[in-house]
Amino acid sequence: MSFKILFADELKGFYKSKVMIVLWVGLPLLSLLFHYITPNTEGFPISSIVAIILSSVGGTLASAMLSTSIASEKMRHVYDLYLIRPVKRTNILLAKYFSVYLCLIIATGISLTLGLILDQIFIGNLPEYVLNQTIESLTISMAAMAISCSIGVFFGIIISSVPVATILSVYIGNQISAISILPTVFLDFIDPVIFSLLIGPIAAVIMLTVSSILFSRKQF
Amino acid sequence: MAQQKKVSNNEALITFQNISKSYNNSLVLNNISFTINKGDVFGYIGPNGAGKTTTIKILVGLIRDYIGKVYIEGKDISNVRQEIYKILGYHPQEAGFQNWRTVEHALRTFGRLSGLKPDHLELKITEVLKFVNLEEARNKKIIHLSGGMLQKLRLGQALLNDPQILVLDEPFTGLDPSSRYQVKNLIKSLSLRGITIFFSSHILSDIQDISNKIGILNKGRLIKIGDPNELQSEFLIGNIIEIVYNEVGNPCQNLEQIDEVEKIELGAPNIQFIHLEANADLDNTIQKILRSIADQKCKMRNFQILKPSLEEVYLKYIEGDIK
Repeated sequence: MSFKILFADELKGFYKSKVMIVLWVGLPLLSLLFHYITPNTEGFPISSIVAIILSSVGGTLASAMLSTSIASEKMRHVYDLYLIRPVKRTNILLAKYFSVYLCLIIATGISLTLGLILDQIFIGNLPEYVLNQTIESLTISMAAMAISCSIGVFFGIIISSVPVATILSVYIGNQISAISILPTVFLDFIDPVIFSLLIGPIAAVIMLTVSSILFSRKQF
Repeated sequence: MAQQKKVSNNEALITFQNISKSYNNSLVLNNISFTINKGDVFGYIGPNGAGKTTTIKILVGLIRDYIGKVYIEGKDISNVRQEIYKILGYHPQEAGFQNWRTVEHALRTFGRLSGLKPDHLELKITEVLKFVNLEEARNKKIIHLSGGMLQKLRLGQALLNDPQILVLDEPFTGLDPSSRYQVKNLIKSLSLRGITIFFSSHILSDIQDISNKIGILNKGRLIKIGDPNELQSEFLIGNIIEIVYNEVGNPCQNLEQIDEVEKIELGAPNIQFIHLEANADLDNTIQKILRSIADQKCKMRNFQILKPSLEEVYLKYIEGDIK
């Protein structure tokens, strides 16, 4: 029950604080901007470019958002008023994580749809291999974002200083989220989609479990 | 004012038993034990860093790693947290709210998290806002609230679940005199409803006005516990008697010859201060003084034992004058 309330609340919070709008408008705009700055992509579809941009920018942004939000709320004792009620500490973290992740999925959906529309206009009907490539990029992006977000939660929990938590989550989040793609670059026999579908949730669950244990032990 | 105080019914509600807590090898609470009865308004005083907030956070469950036991209605709180949440309201000293929320939205979220049913919650929000005098700020964003309004909101959220126990950590901090007066009155009216109140403050006059029981904490040790009058009475030993005469320049003579009178001072031509010895038998000495006054036919207008203020009592304890 508390998860539902907290999740809805977090979404509302992101909506009210304009973060959601920045994500939903900013990321598609960024993709468009990229297209117009470098229009000669030598036939490379915009949708694929969008997926690549999202995986780096979206993940970094989400990771920073989560670490900043958790570290600052922790510092301002916002959680004290939750924890004196029948609320599981894990639910506070999960609500934050999934609300940011959901916002990212929606932003990704909007950006990719926009990319596909532009591809349709400028390239015409896309060959199947291009669509497959886009789906592949998207899957990898989502896995990378899942990992980045969990790293953001982790640093938000363990670090008290907002700037330090942000810097660490952005830097280390980016590095660690690369595990969703790196092995497939060096080992041809690994299917990138299946690998990222496996590694993304597994890494995220591990990080969230560790964060949750640390948060549960924390004295407020 | 004192007549308005709620009298406790001597039924133990909260018991701290040998509580100790350390942070990084520094002892913040040192084996404290005390009991708060049902209906008590317990004022917890101590200088900054004495351990007041730590005690409170242990009670409300924000600190769970400590030595000793805390019981509410005889049950160890670490075993019955879910039950405790239902009967406890907590006003933290410095808890922040998410700034994007409105006052109403914040209360709605906390009410839902406390398990209140939607219909009841709407009524409760209106009732609480009226009680803490925040009706006009209902739709205001939290970022636009003043310090006093935030304190009232903190109190409001603590009342949503109709708590039997209200724990207030420095509820008067940062309030202007008018808001402090309002919050003080709110606490008084809550105590009259039968709610047991445990509050910390360093503003002694506020504690004196509201509490029927006081605990003095210093350097992690509970150095004194009792009702305000009891604490003040301890200082009557070796205290001062003030006598006001109705004729200027005509104070009674030879009172210093009475046993157990240490010295006599003149406060004004018609006012005498009689200092008694530390071990004086108060009743006996007063009787002798009154007899002497009557024998000399001095015209006395007023006779009173000067009580130390609670502030003096507190400072004496904190400075270690009384062991």
